[in-house]
Amino acid sequence: METALDARQKTVMPRTPSTQKALHAAYYALLIVYALFCLLPLWGTLTTSLKTSQAVETTSPLAMPGSPVFVGYRGALEELKTPLLNSLIITAGGALGSVFLGSVCAYALTKFQFRFRGLFYLLLTVAIYLPYQAILIPLFRTINALNLYDTKAGLILLHTVFGMPMCAVMFAGFYAEVPDCVVKQAMIDGSGPWRIYRKVVVPSTKIATMTVLVFQCTSIWNEMLFALIFGAADAMPATIALNNMAGTLAAERNVQMAGSIWLAMPVLALYIILGKYLIRGYMAGSVTAS
Amino acid sequence: MASITIRDVRVSYNKRGSYALKGLDLDIKDGEFCVFLGPSGCGKSTAMHCIAGLIHPDTGEIRIGGSVTTSVERREFVPPQERNIAMVFQEYALYPNMTARGNMSFALETKKTPRDEVARQVDKTARMLGIESLLDRKPAELSGGQRQRVALGRALVRNPSVFLLDEPLGNLDAKLREQVRYELKKIQTQMGVTTVYVTHDQTEAMTMADHIVLMKDGEIVQQGAPTELYDRPSHLFVAGFLGTPRINMFDCVIQARDGSLRFNAGDFSIPAPENMEDALRPLLGREVILGARPSDLSIVENGEGDIRGVVDGVEPLGDAYLVYINIGSRVIIVKSAGGSGALSGSLALKASPDRLHVFDKDTEKRIGA
Ligand SMILES: Nc1ncnc2c1ncn2[C@@H]1O[C@H](COP(=O)(O)OP(=O)(O)OP(=O)(O)O)[C@@H](O)[C@H]1O
Ligand SMILES: [Mg+2]
Repeated sequence: METALDARQKTVMPRTPSTQKALHAAYYALLIVYALFCLLPLWGTLTTSLKTSQAVETTSPLAMPGSPVFVGYRGALEELKTPLLNSLIITAGGALGSVFLGSVCAYALTKFQFRFRGLFYLLLTVAIYLPYQAILIPLFRTINALNLYDTKAGLILLHTVFGMPMCAVMFAGFYAEVPDCVVKQAMIDGSGPWRIYRKVVVPSTKIATMTVLVFQCTSIWNEMLFALIFGAADAMPATIALNNMAGTLAAERNVQMAGSIWLAMPVLALYIILGKYLIRGYMAGSVTAS
Repeated sequence: MASITIRDVRVSYNKRGSYALKGLDLDIKDGEFCVFLGPSGCGKSTAMHCIAGLIHPDTGEIRIGGSVTTSVERREFVPPQERNIAMVFQEYALYPNMTARGNMSFALETKKTPRDEVARQVDKTARMLGIESLLDRKPAELSGGQRQRVALGRALVRNPSVFLLDEPLGNLDAKLREQVRYELKKIQTQMGVTTVYVTHDQTEAMTMADHIVLMKDGEIVQQGAPTELYDRPSHLFVAGFLGTPRINMFDCVIQARDGSLRFNAGDFSIPAPENMEDALRPLLGREVILGARPSDLSIVENGEGDIRGVVDGVEPLGDAYLVYINIGSRVIIVKSAGGSGALSGSLALKASPDRLHVFDKDTEKRIGA
């Protein structure tokens, strides 16, 4: 209590303009250095991806390409076409599956009283922190037994199942903000649980769905462990394919960098399109759902 | 068609540690307008939620229209969506994702009512509540009073067997409140729908109710017609709760003088009404609580009154005055219908003997008829 008050008084304390200016300069210098540190690799990737393979050898990685060429992109797309498509299908399937299941699960957990509710919640939380390495072998055997090894369906199933707990817990936070009396009112107005879910809960928490969907798409798109083990060849996602490409000496560096950009593009696009929902989504807890 | 019977309903929110309803027994007749009245936290909303089927009580049985909807013993429970009840929540509970029109149409659409019929009903109700220009707005774009009217409209568009209205007019301004109160009562009488209504407003309770249920700490203290509760409060609590301004209460000792009984309050002494002699005589010398409503005290010529005091202040009500009179150890309130606001100095008061209320000091129960 007292320390918080002290801190406030300190910030309000008047400073002489010169010390303030110096402080500001220091802050900005620090921020710029940090930003450069983060952005330089990205810059390098971008410039390299736009060069010919000769130019890559002869110029500094950070130098602008004389005139940008897209041979790298064409080459990378040639290599990554199928894996990118795989990734797209797996991400769409896995994200939709886990978001739907998680949402229904959170709805039941937050809006209905039933036996062992606390236990279910605990199990979900435990499932989030489950180290996948620990269950990899039984999982492998199960997927094999289901005849789903190296199939997109197998990966979709895995991501649906293992993504669900995180989605459920995220949704539960949002659904807790939907006032219980609104759900009760819908019951009184003659609706059963499903109709309430479809007509009231989901439409009034669109931001929640967007937030969780983006989170889940990003995680699945970038995922490598399941991708590596369960998508060895036919169902290989782009993350693994890109990694393989980087591992071989055959692929030129401009092609590798272009591949990275290809891989990053869908996620970037998702953020740009849905960014405005995300920012509101992160704040939604502090306002209310209504 | 839809009477409501409640038998021994107990509700605990903390695993039977304490009870929000302590064995509620209540009969509401078909078509009756029943008002739940009582201080905050006495269990009005809880009782209402039990009728709606939103709460599983710990014990007891509830019947609506003769058929069992909740029975703990028989393990029967009709879910809320099958009870055909329309309700206004104390918290409004508007659907945040829908416009006002969407909110009001929702229940009818659930029942697959034809679209033009829904629109007609909604428009009619909206006009009555003065919200027809707001129908396309979302709840977030409405003021508190507007939201409340949408919530009320959402209940009124339906044709339910029971209305449950939890303070449906609490957030409206005085004029609107009066108007909607009038319309609401008219609709209710026309439709003949059994109605349970919660309010803190006594005027509302007195004017609308066929039957008032006054509750305290999860129990019914008294129930009956409005005038019955007002004229013959069975309990000190009822006398104190009903009527504004509050009833004046005096600690008195019953004394006999010249063969008749008197209440001696220290500052004054007034004769006990003759018809109460029999009830009061056994209590001779004991302390009782005497209640006199401000409107049952009148200012009289200095010689005639039993109670003497000095004017402490006067509040004009428009059609009457509230006169605060210092009688020595305390100030009492008198509601004087005529007269003027220019009262001052010392004056005398007279109490209408047949309008006095006497309560036992220990049990706080009414004494006499
Ligand atoms: N969801 C709940 N959880 C725990 N206790 C509750 C809950 N709802 C109500 N109570 C308690 O039960 C008692 C009755 O509450 P209720 O809401 O029925 O009162 P009320 O008469 O409607 O009051 P008000 O006039 O303020 O609306 C109160 O003591 C309250 O604290
Ligand atoms: Mg209440």
